[in-house]
Amino acid sequence: MSGLSMSSILRRSLIHRRTRSFSALIALTVSAAVATALLTLYADLDSKLHREFRSFGANVVVTAPDQAHGLPPDTLKKIGLVTSPDARIAEFGYAVATTDRGTPVVVAGTDFGAIRELNSWWQVDTWPSSTQTDVALLGQRAAQFVTNEHSVQLDFAGHPLTLRGVGKLRTGGDEDSRIYLPLAAFSAWTGTQASVIEIQIPGGASEVEASITRLREALPGMKVEPVRQLVEGESRIVDKTHALMYGAVLLIALTVAVSVLATLSASVLERRRDFALMKALGGTQSSLMAMFLFEALILALGGVVAGYVLGSAAAWTIGKINFHTASWPRIGVLPLVLLLNLVIATLAALLPVRVLRSLEPAALLKGE
Amino acid sequence: MFFRLLMESFRRQRRRKLLAGLAILLGTTAVTAMLALATTIGDRIHQELAVYGANIVVYPAADQLEVKVGGVDVKPVSGGALLHESDLAKLRGIFWANNITGVSPELPIRVVGKTASGMSVDAAATGLWFDHFLGKADALKTGTAAMHPWWKIQGSWPKEEATTDTGSEAVAGTVLASHLHLTPGTVIQTNAGGNTASRSLRITGIVSAGDDTDNQLLLPLNAAQQIAGTPDAVRRVEVSARTKPEDTFARKDPDTLSPAQREIWYCRPYANSIAYQIREAIPGARAEQVRRVEQSEGTVLKRISGLMWLISAAALLAAGFAVSAAMATAILERQGEIGLMRSLGASKTTVALLFYTEAGLLAVFAGGLGYLAGSGLAGWLGARIFASEGPASAGSLLIPVLFPVVVTLALLVALAGSTPAIRRALTTDPSAILRAGA
Repeated sequence: MSGLSMSSILRRSLIHRRTRSFSALIALTVSAAVATALLTLYADLDSKLHREFRSFGANVVVTAPDQAHGLPPDTLKKIGLVTSPDARIAEFGYAVATTDRGTPVVVAGTDFGAIRELNSWWQVDTWPSSTQTDVALLGQRAAQFVTNEHSVQLDFAGHPLTLRGVGKLRTGGDEDSRIYLPLAAFSAWTGTQASVIEIQIPGGASEVEASITRLREALPGMKVEPVRQLVEGESRIVDKTHALMYGAVLLIALTVAVSVLATLSASVLERRRDFALMKALGGTQSSLMAMFLFEALILALGGVVAGYVLGSAAAWTIGKINFHTASWPRIGVLPLVLLLNLVIATLAALLPVRVLRSLEPAALLKGE
Repeated sequence: MFFRLLMESFRRQRRRKLLAGLAILLGTTAVTAMLALATTIGDRIHQELAVYGANIVVYPAADQLEVKVGGVDVKPVSGGALLHESDLAKLRGIFWANNITGVSPELPIRVVGKTASGMSVDAAATGLWFDHFLGKADALKTGTAAMHPWWKIQGSWPKEEATTDTGSEAVAGTVLASHLHLTPGTVIQTNAGGNTASRSLRITGIVSAGDDTDNQLLLPLNAAQQIAGTPDAVRRVEVSARTKPEDTFARKDPDTLSPAQREIWYCRPYANSIAYQIREAIPGARAEQVRRVEQSEGTVLKRISGLMWLISAAALLAAGFAVSAAMATAILERQGEIGLMRSLGASKTTVALLFYTEAGLLAVFAGGLGYLAGSGLAGWLGARIFASEGPASAGSLLIPVLFPVVVTLALLVALAGSTPAIRRALTTDPSAILRAGA
């Protein structure tokens, strides 16, 4: 092997056997792309799922100890200080009024803008604008107990109030039997403040727990309770989906790895004749193996570069299609992908070594 | 001769066949497992989402307004319309009866009486099913405990069989229990009302629910009906049903649709159509989907199953690639053989047929094995991840429909993967191949 340098053999081998080098490169690209895409999605999965769970609405409820007095006016500000900025917060004041038909009905004062964001499951035909003060949202059952849905006459302890009903609300829950109006108008009318604040804290059970602890410290005397089934259910489902995804990632990575391994080692075996020739010309076993190994590693590196780009694009597309938010490429998955590809390439080069070692150059070259 | 070539090829070239076969086997295993998981994920996630409670609620159409704030009845409705408990068995006869996984009727009452130690009791109470069998044959075992898995009980749930003419069992909410010093074994003696006799309630457990239920007594429905003096009465029913996530079509009002469209709407398991069928089945009832649960469940379910399908597609792509690459390698290795056959007078068709048959046999055999392995793997994974109710789910992932799908896919991919290699081998001049190989 003295006349030929290792690099020139390598170069020629890669260039002259273009088809074979190319198919090995494609195999390694696919394995890197699949690994990149799955790992990127996997790393993003929890935050994506938690985002979906926000549609269930509030997971923490702050209640005044005394319904009649309501919460201190600065409560909302205090909550804003201890919760993360993307927490959704809505305050409610409740009172029982009478409709013009004499039926008692729960009236609730709230901020329509906040509630619309918090309770995305509410089916409302027209949302009242948050600037008007004399508007009302009627629960579908409550609407049956007022004479005129567009001019709602209510009475609270002798104080009459007329509201413009702008929309109807359907939820299938207690809200159906209520009438919602802006909090400012509610307070002016009934003389009571907001008594309940509902908060949607993004994240899993541990984030919610931490927020509850902070809220309890910031709001002494108030009742701060998690909505138990939401918090428990969310972490259970996220954990299970996480585990499922983990299984899927391992399974697919294994499939691709073994198939690539099969393809690559076949292509090494295919070159028994080259191997025999080089051996006959004086190449040592180890220098020959080193050459095969180098070749495979170069291809593996090329595969990682192309596969990382392709896989990141695939993860971005899947995130966009399924979750409507993109999964941005993560540089953190690169070492893992690189490791995977290098291991595959090394194994592919080394596995056939036993077969190659037992070869008799003379016999092979003669064509047996 | 053709048959012998085929036989010998499988007998003598075991390594090559093994390699291609292994690629097909692993590919079909991954695809089968992912598809099996993706098709069953809906049911599994529905089971998990059951913790959010019922997604359909049924109440009397002629009901008064509920005056409830934070789960507390500010002005409890007295009188009011009621449903009949005996009508609930009709839920087992509606079109989507098998999708109903839980039914929990409620009858709110007031319990006024004394404990054995002389403390007076005046508490809200709810009559519920705990372990009730709904329907006659293949009855649905259902009850409130199963539908509220986040309720934690210390002690045991009351049994409706224990209800007699003079007494029954009950459980108390934690807050109420600590107020009245109730422990399992305590007996509450209710006051005799206008047309009801005094009855004893034996506490069997303390329940913690994290909401207003903690201030209540829970007792079997038949006991509550006796205390209130309203046999067969139910105030409200919660129904948990497996549904299809809502789309635009689901939001249509069935009465405005054409008969054919209405039929389609009716026969899809939307929460709206199940609610519609419940209204039809139970006279005087109104059924509504609980939008907080139903809408959000729909989104979560759609995202998770969407993710599974996309990953299955990725698995399919990767497996398809792996198989075709392995097939191509297996054929390219045998160029010499092809050259020899051609120079001995075999037509291109015969050679192509031989290789295609080999690929096909391999695909069917390895694909079948992969189907079995994948089903087993999916069952194992599913049971490990969603290990909850019983070991029955372990073997249940053998989905027969997938068998032809997976084997056909394996066959198509193997044949398609072999084609370029076979074509290339056939277009090359045999003498060139043989000389290069020598």
